[in-house]
Amino acid sequence: MRRERSVGGLRCGEVLACLADYLAGELEARVRERVEAHLAGCDVCERFGGDYARVVACLRRILAAPDPPPDGFEERLLRAFEEAAGEPGH
Amino acid sequence: MAAEIDAELLSRVARGDRAAFACLVRRHSAPVLRFARSLVDAGSAEDVLQETFLAAYRKADTFRGAESARAWLLAIARNAARRLHRRPSPVLADEEALAELGARAGWGQTPSPLAAAEGAELRERLAAALERLAPADREAIVLRDLEGLTTAETAEVLGIRPGAVKTRLHRARLRLMGALRAGGRGQ
Repeated sequence: MRRERSVGGLRCGEVLACLADYLAGELEARVRERVEAHLAGCDVCERFGGDYARVVACLRRILAAPDPPPDGFEERLLRAFEEAAGEPGH
Repeated sequence: MAAEIDAELLSRVARGDRAAFACLVRRHSAPVLRFARSLVDAGSAEDVLQETFLAAYRKADTFRGAESARAWLLAIARNAARRLHRRPSPVLADEEALAELGARAGWGQTPSPLAAAEGAELRERLAAALERLAPADREAIVLRDLEGLTTAETAEVLGIRPGAVKTRLHRARLRLMGALRAGGRGQ
């Protein structure tokens, strides 16, 4: 387990806890400034924060587009829809 | 604009309009299938997909135009997956100390889990790491990072509070980073 440092008024663990909110821009200004001060003075958290941001960006960029459904799926579903729509009560 | 189109389509689907149903399927089937695959095995995902759209037809008149049709369909898919494949909810070690999760994710260590990967290899490693996560972690990442749902929409789909969505997502991403590191050590 790494040793915690206190930089910019925050411990490394506190920065880790609010990393997602920081990257999403959801921290209030006062906390954001302290996180930024910590990151500026703590190379370990600065590097990890960069890795975390890169993983999220990669997920969004690389895996964002889903594969299409298998061939014939739409036809099968439309047949099922017609059967359901033809049932009493519809 | 997309929201208005979906609301109009669902209004027509509620009246049994086949063309509107086909259009709804074309607009949303790929993301719904991906989400289904994050919940059940690949062979069952198509059943979940079909059940989702048929359930959407049956309850189209309950859709409230103000909400996201994508989130509404994903919530239906989640229920369909649970109904079709009833199994105990996975116990997530959410009490696990954040520092432990961080350490496995590379906090305080080098090199970066993605430092050497790019292109197709990066995609493959990310997909493999995502596959190794517990379903509850995977669905949080799929909904927020891949589908781009908001925290509020994700909370609706998962039936939990927005604050819990944030916590789960952060921990899921850390576990994903841990899985990337583990995969990078030659698994």
